[in-house]
Amino acid sequence: MENEHIKTDVLCIGGGIGGLMAAIRARELGAEVAVAEKGNIKRSGRGGGGCDHFLCYIPEVHGSDMDAYIEEMMKTQQRRNFMGLSKERLRTHIRNTYDIVKLWDSWGIPMKPRGEYYFAGHAFPGGFRTLLKYAGRHQKPILAKKAREAGAKIRNRVMIFDLVLDRDGNIGGAVGLDVRSGELVTFEAKAVILGTGYMSRLYQHITPGWMSNNAWRFSLTGDGRLMAYRAGAELMDLDFMRLHNGPRYLARFGQATWVGVYRDPDGKPIGPFVSKPEVLYGDATPEADKLIFKKYHDAGKGPCYMDGNGLSEEDHQEMIYWLEHEGNDPLLKHMAEDGIDFRKHPIEVTSYNQGCLGKVATDEEGRTTLDGLFAIGDEVGSGVSNASVYGWMCGESAVKIAKQKAFSGTFELGDESKKRVDILSKMRTRNGYGPQWREANIALQQIMSDFAGYLRSDEIMKAGLFHLRRLRKKALETMVAQNPHELVRSLEVMNLLDFGELVFISGLDRKETRDTHVRTDYAITDPRLNNKAHIIKMVDGRPVTDWRPI
Amino acid sequence: MPPVIDSEKCEKCGGCVDVCPEDVYFGSRKKELPSVSYPEECSHCNACVEECPVQGAVTIRIPLPMMLLYRPEGNHSGAT
Repeated sequence: MENEHIKTDVLCIGGGIGGLMAAIRARELGAEVAVAEKGNIKRSGRGGGGCDHFLCYIPEVHGSDMDAYIEEMMKTQQRRNFMGLSKERLRTHIRNTYDIVKLWDSWGIPMKPRGEYYFAGHAFPGGFRTLLKYAGRHQKPILAKKAREAGAKIRNRVMIFDLVLDRDGNIGGAVGLDVRSGELVTFEAKAVILGTGYMSRLYQHITPGWMSNNAWRFSLTGDGRLMAYRAGAELMDLDFMRLHNGPRYLARFGQATWVGVYRDPDGKPIGPFVSKPEVLYGDATPEADKLIFKKYHDAGKGPCYMDGNGLSEEDHQEMIYWLEHEGNDPLLKHMAEDGIDFRKHPIEVTSYNQGCLGKVATDEEGRTTLDGLFAIGDEVGSGVSNASVYGWMCGESAVKIAKQKAFSGTFELGDESKKRVDILSKMRTRNGYGPQWREANIALQQIMSDFAGYLRSDEIMKAGLFHLRRLRKKALETMVAQNPHELVRSLEVMNLLDFGELVFISGLDRKETRDTHVRTDYAITDPRLNNKAHIIKMVDGRPVTDWRPI
Repeated sequence: MPPVIDSEKCEKCGGCVDVCPEDVYFGSRKKELPSVSYPEECSHCNACVEECPVQGAVTIRIPLPMMLLYRPEGNHSGAT
């Protein structure tokens, strides 16, 4: 093979928080490590803009009962972030958070910028506060530097699109496309850690006419989930939607960084938790019901506001400080330019539909159902704390595997990968007036939002699945890409089309109403499916669903 | 369209081109003024602004469909 070929013990696919933590740890333990990153590790991933809150359990702060901390945490939005994960998985995560916090502080990420650990936000008055406030705006550049210093080989600007299996069906590496040159890049590895992050662009967002309106990043398209699926690993819970809340129409993070009260147009607090701005708690109303603002809107009871009237100057300055660390500089600049003063002008808020909650199925140590393949970060849960703890742990486990294993001696792309390479080559060389990736993406979003949205039935989803398959066929046969950049966007859309199909198949199989999976033909929640993960995996080239106890 | 480069201030160091997670500067050439080839793919993450050595050489403009909505003062019907 003439293309660039990198041989390494451990390959981290995605250089976000999780991937870099895995790379740093695996290097510390003596393994050769490569990081394959679609963008640039310095600012890529959902943590690239910064963050101001970190789930962290400190016995001296929260008491010796860690389960009580977890119980409190699961009353907040973490309930949905960690849906479908076992109690043991949650315990393993939370048990290790304080060590990572101390480590980050020693690396120069200020975890106690006020001099002591300070917890606030995403909290209910009366309960204890589970989120540590930290000054994380430069977390990615710091981790990126650390990974380079540790000796990890960083390969920026390559989009991995398939895992490569060896002759025995074990993980053998991965194949990707250089996003600037369009050349193939292959990686031969003994263990692979998937950390490609969140999946955006599957559903219409709050500004359907302006697709890239998402702090969750335009270029994050859940690629790892599809690679894992195609390689034979299990995915789970594709039936549920990932939801969030925030300002309309500028979709950003920081739901709990705003310090004010969520109010209806008459000034009445929407939730029962606070009636004036409370710096220690924020307003946890959307933690209790992630769809509350949508419900108000649909019932004609909106608009809903985040109201900062009554916030002291000192508390306002502090809120701005945290908003900056949460990656909100462009929003603050926009507010300043338009003369929007949070203490005088309540900000309109809305429910964000962030796509599908579906994840790669892993055990409490981050292992997927394929030997030598791990999945971390947003592919499994959500948040910086989850990504960093599991990145660190899986980096360690990957080294153990690499040390026991030799390279198989052969490295060949599978048939599916070869098919993909062929489609890519056709997209580049097709002449004429074929659609560009954006057309296919918009068409997909329409189908997902209309046929796998907030109301579902057998008829609706079957119709949607038919439309999606027709769209995919047309897209694959006619899409054109002018350059490597557009080729990468097309590859992303191909992943999204495949994932959309799995959402329909999974949704049709869940014959009940649960969480955001609301079926008009199966209105009840089936108690027999409580505490069960809904699995989907590929068997003999076809998707097969199953249920497994959590 | 975001981001916006000030050709007077830009030192053509390529820092923004190098760091952009979305690669909206695709096709830019070294030591030339960066070209914003795919502005509609900007995630408004500010990475290029942070990376730029010159204050104001690159700025993020929020597109009109994304303008922040707020309630004007004196327009409260209730006790806010």
